[in-house]
Amino acid sequence: MAISLGYVFRETRGNLRWNVTLFAATIVAVWVSLTLFGSSLLIREGVEQATGRWQGGIEFIVFMNADASEAQHAAIRGALDENPEIDGYDYVDQQGAFNEFITEFADRPELIENVTPEILPPSYRVKPSVGDADVIEALAAQFDARPGVRQVTLPVEVIRTLQQNSQKVSVFVLIIAIVVLLAALMLIANTIRTAIFARRQDIEVMKLVGASNWYVRLPFMVEGTIQGLIGGALAIPMLFLMNNLMAGFVQDDYLELLRSLVVDSAVVWNTSLLVTGIGAAVGVVGSLFAVGRFLDV
Amino acid sequence: MIELDQVTKIYKGEVLALYSVSCKISKGEFVFLVGPSGSGKSTFLKLLNRQETADQGAVWIAGKEVGALPRSSVPKLRRLVGCIFQDFKLLPNRTVYENVAFALEVTGRSRQQVRTQVPSLLELVGLSKKTHSYPHELSGGEQQRVSIARAFVNRPPILLADEPTGNLDGDTSNGIMRLLAEINKRGTTVVMATHDQHIVNAARRRVLRLDRGRLTADDAQGRYA
Repeated sequence: MAISLGYVFRETRGNLRWNVTLFAATIVAVWVSLTLFGSSLLIREGVEQATGRWQGGIEFIVFMNADASEAQHAAIRGALDENPEIDGYDYVDQQGAFNEFITEFADRPELIENVTPEILPPSYRVKPSVGDADVIEALAAQFDARPGVRQVTLPVEVIRTLQQNSQKVSVFVLIIAIVVLLAALMLIANTIRTAIFARRQDIEVMKLVGASNWYVRLPFMVEGTIQGLIGGALAIPMLFLMNNLMAGFVQDDYLELLRSLVVDSAVVWNTSLLVTGIGAAVGVVGSLFAVGRFLDV
Repeated sequence: MIELDQVTKIYKGEVLALYSVSCKISKGEFVFLVGPSGSGKSTFLKLLNRQETADQGAVWIAGKEVGALPRSSVPKLRRLVGCIFQDFKLLPNRTVYENVAFALEVTGRSRQQVRTQVPSLLELVGLSKKTHSYPHELSGGEQQRVSIARAFVNRPPILLADEPTGNLDGDTSNGIMRLLAEINKRGTTVVMATHDQHIVNAARRRVLRLDRGRLTADDAQGRYA
């Protein structure tokens, strides 16, 4: 039997009119829950982005012998230029190394007295294009054996720790997001169930006069979808607000840490669309299950 | 039209509602179902529109075994079997017109059909002037008339009435009975559970008596006691 659109529209409108409070309560539940869920996703995105940035900033240092020939330097520069896994490098000559030394040990003049630029090794500060510890280690090894190279130092342990920590943070935030989503689902399902519980007698009467299950369900599902969409849509400005608040911290130079958590507005939009979609899905499925309990008449 | 064949119904907790009840009700009959509270009258009616299913035996309506119908066919059965209740069960947020129209809409009738049929039904039950009233604005008798209009709007071959006059005073009850008699005269089989001995004794119709789930009497022109 065909169910007319007019019927679904009238019933849905009726449901909304007769249950304004519960309708609003469901929207608020969806709104708050999805804002929390979306925020967790954005924080996770921010953490991953920040880790990427820190990892991108990692460099290894190729120290040359103080007496390395110009040909040896040229060979190293050539190798650095050709390697696609290297973004770029800075050359620190002996005078530059001496300047750094002075800065570093400014409080220990006895050390500075005994050092001259000639005994310090010049070095190349290399920026790899990748952040993976294993890749960087292999890359560094390529330079270790070259003539004129005194030593290659690389912060593999630092990279490893950073990778592990950022993975931990990322997983942790994801777990929080999932827990928040589960809590949201239960809250929303409960609110919808309360709304439908209030109308269980209507459902019973509908069934007794010969309405099919779909005839009863459909308006409730449309109602759930509308609530989910509105709740999800209301979460969008909250997500932007949150991201902008963090951007505000950056301008104030107030909290350095939060700077890296600000994400691009395209990311906020993607998260918003996801959150709204989840809202609509939760609305439909929540209504479907909630009505189902009362259809057995 | 209606046949019960050795029907037994036991609710959870071992409550025996009906025990081995057999009877036949022909097309166009008007049958009273009497007995004290808890004798199984409501269960008898609930088996006829598949609100309950029998634990043993079979219930037949218009040649189909009710208990064996797939769930998807239950709505169709309910359009053959109109129902009225002691507490009317009207939808409180809808007007008289909308309550009656709803029963037609669920069968997929066009709005045009709804527009012509609902007013003629409200005319039959004497509520033409209350079309746009809400249930809470009506007296008990008027609410029961709406409920009858809703049950009859699909012209079902069978009408079940569970204590339809239970909440009404004597005069109002008589009005409701006249209405049910009128519907019966138009060919609908009416099965009515009741406590009201005046009504039963005045009507002199067939009486089925239930006592603790057993069918103890079946009189063609019975009296209450």
